Amino acid sequence: MKTMEVRLIVNARPVVWSIAPGELLLDVLRREGYFGVKRGCEKGECGACAVLVDGTPVNSCLMFAAQAEGRQILTIEGVADGGTLHAVQEAFLDHGAVQCGFCTSGMVISAKALLDRRPDPSKDEVREALAGHLCRCTGYLKPVEAVLAAAGKKRRTRRTKAVAEVAK
Amino acid sequence: MWWRCNPSLTLIYSGQPVVTHVPWVRRWPATAVHIMFDKVEAFYRPASVREALRLLDSGKGKARVVAGGTDLVVQGDDTVHFLIDITRAGLSYIRPKGAALAIGAATTMAQLEASDVVAALADGLLARAARSCGSALIRNRATLGGNIANASPAADMATPLLVLEASVVLAHARGRRTLPLAEYLLTAAAHRAAMHGVAGRRRTPDPFAGCLLVEVVIPAPPGGKGCRWSFQKFGRTAVDISLVNVAAGLQTDARGKVKWARIALGSVSPAPMRAAGAEQRMLGRKVDQAMLAEIGAEVAREVSPISDARASAEYRRELCFVLSRRALEECSALAGCCL
Repeated sequence: MKTMEVRLIVNARPVVWSIAPGELLLDVLRREGYFGVKRGCEKGECGACAVLVDGTPVNSCLMFAAQAEGRQILTIEGVADGGTLHAVQEAFLDHGAVQCGFCTSGMVISAKALLDRRPDPSKDEVREALAGHLCRCTGYLKPVEAVLAAAGKKRRTRRTKAVAEVAK
Repeated sequence: MWWRCNPSLTLIYSGQPVVTHVPWVRRWPATAVHIMFDKVEAFYRPASVREALRLLDSGKGKARVVAGGTDLVVQGDDTVHFLIDITRAGLSYIRPKGAALAIGAATTMAQLEASDVVAALADGLLARAARSCGSALIRNRATLGGNIANASPAADMATPLLVLEASVVLAHARGRRTLPLAEYLLTAAAHRAAMHGVAGRRRTPDPFAGCLLVEVVIPAPPGGKGCRWSFQKFGRTAVDISLVNVAAGLQTDARGKVKWARIALGSVSPAPMRAAGAEQRMLGRKVDQAMLAEIGAEVAREVSPISDARASAEYRRELCFVLSRRALEECSALAGCCL
């Protein structure tokens, strides 16, 4: 089988992959050990395979690996900062938003992208952002609450910082 | 006979060669490689339309164009040997072209939603349709050109573009040609019917072979006060494919009489269509409940829906009645009419 090379950045680390030209990003990511990217429906329906490509959430099952050339990919493995969980991950734990966990990595990825873009989203915006993620445990309420709480926590941190700045 | 229910068994009893797979023992591919694209020998990322066309020509029918992949990957294609990614060919743009608006084929639904120009066009008709094209994840990848070129009867962007009387620009080795969208969709649907129709398969040449859809051009909508627009879609869920979608445009004169009207429907015929009879019937009439009911019924007569896994033909026809009435109601409400 013919192979080709792609160069990209995955979780802030430059990588060079040898891939088949017709391979999908999901397949290559899992082969390279990013098992947090889940193989669900493989049709773009369930969102379990979501990753960020240059900060935008996409279904990695619908994207050819060759299309990732030169792009920055963020998988769930790269969301936490070392041992410190991302605010969204913390909030998911605090709110019991994780049941079987299969959809969680995708939901966290989409929620992170939303908060990066809109630090203070409305409930509707959160629901809209998570709409492409199916949860077969049917736990939709708690993830929405968790994302709103994560946004609130970030907001409080920002305010504390601002107050500290003024106090100086 | 009971086996007549199952096409693969019917094949056995009708003297066809042995069926190699029976659906209920079908196994998922064991390898990680996506089975539908394992014949792909090369993946190209041309930086210009000219280069993309050259690659398309040298592919000799075995090359396929990919952008967002949201249709191509789901459909799969084990005949494709070369993939040509046009997302880096400079086809993501929204810009004025004289009084018209030109949108590059690789512009994503997310970009259409976010654009101020698109939001300002025709009461945000196109932006609304873009927002209805699946989940945010899909809209970040799916492109306008792909939605049109795939020529699905249910394409959500086709109906608003039909009422806006848009054209598509096709680039090929010898230049470019502009084609009304309605004509493009009908040609594509006729080709599909010939290839996969119930009348048996006929190998017909692809009318758009060697062509690349590069741009959608939307002429300036008829101006003046009272020109209003609506997009209505009905699916099982908010992110589902359309069971029926309707786009409408309505212009009334100072006395509230209809001066100009457009209605287009998707997912109710082989190609997205305009309901020309209903449009004609509205002219010169005052918008009221009786007229809306009459036009809704006329629209329902004009469509030719089929039954499939998502909905029955009867249900789709009823949806045509309801949604076209709802669309016209919204148009006239936006124009300040009280019904």
